[in-house]
Amino acid sequence: MKIAVCVKQVLSREATIRVNDQGTWVRDADAQFEINEPDQYALEEALRLKEQHGGEVIAVSAGPARVTQVLREALARGADRAIHVGDDALVEGDAFVVAAALAEAIRPEGVDLILTGLQSDDQGFGQVGVVMAERLGMPHATIIMDVSLADGQVRVKRELEGGWFQWVTLPLPTLLTIQSGINQLRYATLKGIMAAKKKEIRAVRAEGRASEQRIARLYVPEKSKQTRVLEGSAAEIAKELVQALREARVI
Amino acid sequence: MSALEVWTFRLLVVVALALFSVQMATRLRLVAAGAQNLRWDRFPERFRQFLVDVVFQARVIRAKPWVGSAHLLVFWGFVAFAGFTAVESLRGLGLLDLTETHWFRSYRVALAPFAVAVLAGILFLLVRRGLFRPPALGQTVSKESILIGVLIATLMVTFLLDLRLEGGAERVNWWVHMLVILAFLVLIPDSKHLHLVLSPVTVFLKSPVLGDVPNLDFEREEVGFETVADLPAKQRLDAFTCVECGRCQEACPAFATGKLLNPKKLILDAQRAMLGGQLDAKLVDVFDDGVLWQCTTCGACENQCPVGIEHVPLIIGSRRGLVSNGEAPDYLGPVFNNLERRGNIWGLTYDQRDKFIASAGVETFDASRHSYLVWLGCAGAFEADYQKSLRALFEILHANGVRFGVLAKERCNGDPAKRTGNEYIFQELATQNAEELRQAGAKKIVTSCPHCLKTLGQDYRRFGLDAEVVHSAVLVSELTSHVHLAKDDEVTFHDPCYLGRYAGHTAEPRALLHRVGAEVKEPVRNRDNPFCCGAGGGLLFEEHESGKRISQERLDQLQATGARRVVTACPFCSIMLKGAQASTQSSTEMVDLISYVNDKLRGEGRGAGG
Ligand code: SF4
Ligand code: SF4
Repeated sequence: MKIAVCVKQVLSREATIRVNDQGTWVRDADAQFEINEPDQYALEEALRLKEQHGGEVIAVSAGPARVTQVLREALARGADRAIHVGDDALVEGDAFVVAAALAEAIRPEGVDLILTGLQSDDQGFGQVGVVMAERLGMPHATIIMDVSLADGQVRVKRELEGGWFQWVTLPLPTLLTIQSGINQLRYATLKGIMAAKKKEIRAVRAEGRASEQRIARLYVPEKSKQTRVLEGSAAEIAKELVQALREARVI
Repeated sequence: MSALEVWTFRLLVVVALALFSVQMATRLRLVAAGAQNLRWDRFPERFRQFLVDVVFQARVIRAKPWVGSAHLLVFWGFVAFAGFTAVESLRGLGLLDLTETHWFRSYRVALAPFAVAVLAGILFLLVRRGLFRPPALGQTVSKESILIGVLIATLMVTFLLDLRLEGGAERVNWWVHMLVILAFLVLIPDSKHLHLVLSPVTVFLKSPVLGDVPNLDFEREEVGFETVADLPAKQRLDAFTCVECGRCQEACPAFATGKLLNPKKLILDAQRAMLGGQLDAKLVDVFDDGVLWQCTTCGACENQCPVGIEHVPLIIGSRRGLVSNGEAPDYLGPVFNNLERRGNIWGLTYDQRDKFIASAGVETFDASRHSYLVWLGCAGAFEADYQKSLRALFEILHANGVRFGVLAKERCNGDPAKRTGNEYIFQELATQNAEELRQAGAKKIVTSCPHCLKTLGQDYRRFGLDAEVVHSAVLVSELTSHVHLAKDDEVTFHDPCYLGRYAGHTAEPRALLHRVGAEVKEPVRNRDNPFCCGAGGGLLFEEHESGKRISQERLDQLQATGARRVVTACPFCSIMLKGAQASTQSSTEMVDLISYVNDKLRGEGRGAGG
């Protein structure tokens, strides 16, 4: 069982966020980063599957040199090796570009299973996984709550709306996007950290590809206050109030 | 003495010495095979503890004055008799006869009262052990102890008879005396009376700091104790020194509330494993199931042990071995991840701390304007009740003209990681915090959390922080020495382990309470031997405590004083005791020391009404 897990490096929740000069993304030169939370669950699930069925877990991350930090974290928690898909432009790349870069890096590995987090904590497109599956010609399933492997097939539990679940069986190889909270995350151990120092992070270059989508403007939500005094008889005021609330989309 | 006698004695001495040496060698070799962690630094402090605990037997006597005094008599008797035994042995070996010298005759006469004292002491101990069977000593009467006791009594009786007897009877008496001594020599190494030989060394080698757990050295790939073979020299020496007195067991809050953990058994299990050649056995298998995670690191065992055994480094060392392999209990996993990713045990983001600082109007520390840095700790950042206590501290400091500030950003001091054996996270946090405190130029740090006090004040020395760290109870008691309010309230005070036992600050909180008009009704287990609240060592996060809850037991003890208010001085003691109180629906009021003092000083609030 060869499993690839895609992990993204996102801004830390502790970081003070500042918009960059072009107003297109956050200023990340002095920011703090961490591993995307849903990806932590994907990694944990991969490690558990490996513990049950044997095999290998490969952590893959796309982005500038700093993303090796999350790869080290994945290695410390038990991934066997890592691939760094290096390209500074990927920071502002759209889901399609990132998915393409990851897919090309994973393709030669011939993996049985690819796990990603359901979505990223920063952009939250929820697209990279499914686009990758499409490019690699694999089936995929999203919002996964449970994974079990048997007879060369994978049976998963998907979360639907309104408390409903769906059970699906897929052939291998396949791609799953994992929902947060599916398992209990392990912590980094000293032995794991020591072992991680000796594990390989292979760097591959991403093919330069232009994004189709681009962020036009990034800004801090603007708060504004408006006061309007309604006048007239009670009935008129009530009518006007309902009208105003409708306009403000409160009701 | 006839030639036959001399030769017989020589033969017996050789046999006894050989048997003694073989048994001793086994043990000393085991000690020497452990990683070297015997430390001789801080000589004056070590010499002091040797004097107090060995020569004057202070720790033996303190907890049990009667038994301790009896033991002191026996100990001093042994020392006094050393010369006598040496002279008689030399004579028996036919090497040198000093028995007819003038000084020996006087020495012998001077020994007589010692002999009577030892006899009285040992008879008292024998009767206590044989008839009353204190539970701490185990369920069955140890035959070995009775035998040793009888031997000691025989030595004294024969000595006293020797003063009177003449001729043949004197010879028989002499032989009985010397044979008993030789038998003693043979029996010592394989019995708890080995402490006669080892305890002076063990006491000297014990760290002068209670619960002192040195850093792991990552460069040397240290990961903690996994197998028996990983136990370093001091922990091995400890295991052989144990005199099985059970004082640690009696003091242990986990044992007292029906858990499997028994610090005495822990030490004896390590001893048994070593002597049984199980060096490759995993410690977690050598010890009883789960006991390593039942310890609150309250330090009571170590603090009570009369022979210098350090339980806390053994327990934390063994936890490290498990944590390094990912084998910590489930409830600690999220705590470790929170500490690693968010820098605090609750996994919250620090904007709550920012809001608190802003609403309390506290400035960011600036060494040129502030004399104290107030360390909030994670409870200060997130715990509403504790924030009240901090506001009270801020008010008192303002009122007394003390200029202070706080760090713009803090992380957990790392105590929960350190005491649960997650050294990687502890060192990450400690390195960053110590660096930021140094950069801020803080010379004096005050905290209301006793765990921060111990960690910043002692553990951070190893990270290059040399600022003076004080607990708010100490600082506030210095600032308010002029206050004298009339008595109008009755409270009981729960000494936090890390304040009373670890830091020895028992007088200051009481002085403060007295000063603001509160009479303190002492609970059982107070001052430097408090009964833990149950929070320490990561147990704050354990929801399924076996046996009675430690916090419940402590609350019962505090309520038994009859006081309506329980005052304490630690955010975690507060959380635990409030938790226990919530489940009993008692009307006892819990209040933090500094909040209480401030209310009284301002002459308002609930505290003032009495
Ligand atoms: S430190 Fe406290 S809880 Fe732990 S074994 Fe010793 S007495 Fe018991
Ligand atoms: S460890 Fe110390 S206190 Fe405990 S039984 Fe042994 S000698 Fe006594």
